[in-house]
Amino acid sequence: MMSYLFLLPAFGFFLLFVAYPMIKGVYISFFDYSLRDFSFIGLDNYISLFKDDNFIKSMGNTLLLVVITVPIVIIFSLFVSMNIYKKKEFARSFFRGVFYLPAVSSVVSITVVWGWIYHPNYGILNYLTGLFGMEPVSWLGDTRTALLAIIVVLITTSVGQPIILYVASIGNIPTFYIEAAEIDRATPWQIFRKILWPMLMPTNLYIIVITTINTFQCFALIQLLTSGGPVYSTSTVMYGVYEQAFMLGHFGYASAMGVILAIVIGIISIIQFKYFGSDVEY
Amino acid sequence: MKAMKKGLMSIVGVALLGTQLVACGNTNTANSAVTPSNADKTEPAATEAAAKPVEITWWNFPSFQALDGEVGKYEKEIIAAFNEKNPEIKVNLEMITFEGGPEKLNVAIASNTAPDVIYDAPGRIIDWGKKDLLAPLNDMVTDEVKNDISEAFWKQSSVSDNIFMYPINTAPFMMAVNKTIFEKIGALDLLPLDKEDRTWTFEEYKKALEAVKEKAPDVIPTGFFAKSQAGDQGTRAYLANLGVSRFLNEDNSAVAINTDNAAKALDWIVQATKDKLSVSGAASLAAADVNDLFLQGKLAFTLNYSAVLKAQNVSKKMVQFEDILLPFPTLDGSEPKLEPYLGGMAVFNNGDEAKIAASKKLIDFIANDPVWGKKNLIQTGGLSVRNSITGLYDDPEYKYAEYARKFTTDAPTIADGYADIRTFWFPELQRALTGGATGKEALDSFATKANEAITKAKAAMK
Repeated sequence: MMSYLFLLPAFGFFLLFVAYPMIKGVYISFFDYSLRDFSFIGLDNYISLFKDDNFIKSMGNTLLLVVITVPIVIIFSLFVSMNIYKKKEFARSFFRGVFYLPAVSSVVSITVVWGWIYHPNYGILNYLTGLFGMEPVSWLGDTRTALLAIIVVLITTSVGQPIILYVASIGNIPTFYIEAAEIDRATPWQIFRKILWPMLMPTNLYIIVITTINTFQCFALIQLLTSGGPVYSTSTVMYGVYEQAFMLGHFGYASAMGVILAIVIGIISIIQFKYFGSDVEY
Repeated sequence: MKAMKKGLMSIVGVALLGTQLVACGNTNTANSAVTPSNADKTEPAATEAAAKPVEITWWNFPSFQALDGEVGKYEKEIIAAFNEKNPEIKVNLEMITFEGGPEKLNVAIASNTAPDVIYDAPGRIIDWGKKDLLAPLNDMVTDEVKNDISEAFWKQSSVSDNIFMYPINTAPFMMAVNKTIFEKIGALDLLPLDKEDRTWTFEEYKKALEAVKEKAPDVIPTGFFAKSQAGDQGTRAYLANLGVSRFLNEDNSAVAINTDNAAKALDWIVQATKDKLSVSGAASLAAADVNDLFLQGKLAFTLNYSAVLKAQNVSKKMVQFEDILLPFPTLDGSEPKLEPYLGGMAVFNNGDEAKIAASKKLIDFIANDPVWGKKNLIQTGGLSVRNSITGLYDDPEYKYAEYARKFTTDAPTIADGYADIRTFWFPELQRALTGGATGKEALDSFATKANEAITKAKAAMK
């Protein structure tokens, strides 16, 4: 009984700030809820969504961001972690700090810095490419490069936490497995594939799920860098939710977008749990 | 299996978090929004109630220039002066920004926490008025005031017969040029500054741009922007004047900008970007980015300027230079059509007559107090909307801004569905700028979407 009482504050907090808004969000999605109207319209918001080219485009962009960003974050952070976990404590701390810095810094500050880097007229990126004779590129103002530019920023801000987790997890794997494999003349790739990767599965699962959700919910850097443009080429579902709700006051429509996004995230997370979930003890 | 079930529960929980972003609003607003009471009915109750202590909230964009560099300091002085005459009214000031303020207002309205009074422009105020969110101000407007302000301004401040915005300051939106650059390159004669009306043709403008490109290679001749809707009037007016067109037709019932001339003008803007006559990366630049380049002395012309912005930009200049107001050039040298900036105050109908009355008193003080009225006006850097109040500033640029009021055209901000119309404008500009469409295709596509929005909004009003 006492243990339930201890849970009560957290449960109350959950009900008030998580469960209630969640249920209310789903409820609102069935209404024409704008600054003036509030009338029940059933599934109309959902039907309109699937006829809305911008929403389809935003969903496509969001999935593309996830498909490109998540594997790169995993591979890059794993690569970095594998290379730094054996180093001395000072070096490990240094590299963890370097990669973790963007994760603990304000997204707004980092995005502003990247905005300067990409600036078409006085950005340092164009200055550097200019040294090699390249013409200046409007990185954020060209439909061919804008999403790529967003992905680069997203990756730099996403790798910090996975690196910290991987370094810790790799350090926890008993060394005798690797030593035994080395005695049996296993190659580094075999050691990674047959020992390290399977034993990192719980960490992999956590990182994949969290990175996927964070990427789906990517908003601030889109708003600050491109406002979803040019021509919706960087518009994401989360940005669309913001635009519909807070710029246009179409709260019902935006809620329906939020529900669809939640369903997509849920389905993808289930798939990820199915393929990456396994109980490992060591 | 048990772990799997637990995991699934967690996923569903986490995933549904995405729905929360829009769920924070309160659904009561729209239902409970009180139909604006008739001004005549409001007055007696309001007068009686206003004598009792009342607390109101004033949200303010930086409409007044910051005093001693401190945003909101001048507004606090207004409140202190107001309280000397109205000690029973406590005014809570909240400064909001042009970047985040509009969203904050939408959320506040949707969650029944709208402020009582606001200083803003017709674009939003009239939209709120059409949605029955504001209290009419008809009872504040005396015949003397009514007759002293032009009909065009009243049109921008009203919905049918209800006045929802008390107009205070104005200035025609124009272009500006860095005169110092032209002095340095010895090309001052290329600017139309010797003419009283400063009107000029597209060809003359192009010659000026080419002179900058040739003689001042470290300066970008002119700018354009299409990242977001902030400052979109600059792009509207630029295209409309270069194409000798209007943005919307005269009764705001349809788009008029998709003419062949305007399309050619848009094609020229795209080409000018390639020719380095206009700033590169316009699709990713906002109005503020382009004005920043101008204030850094890196841009010869900027498109989004007015006497108000000129005054507000004094402290933001990175280098000292003389900025001169110019009308937009027109294809044939005909008179330009300038959209007016119009600033004024509105009262949200939060269902409390005492607060409405107190808010009106504050507005009256800000606009009409014998001492503070004029002082406030000057602090906005704008001209008075009143025809009888002129010559506020001893400055040639203000004198020109006053003169240029004759070029003022009606703004599309009062069109039905304006909030949606704006959202279609800049993606189409982006399409043209990134080579995804010709000028004509982009403007026609905009026209189709905007006309649908107008029709839909008109239908919703009925």
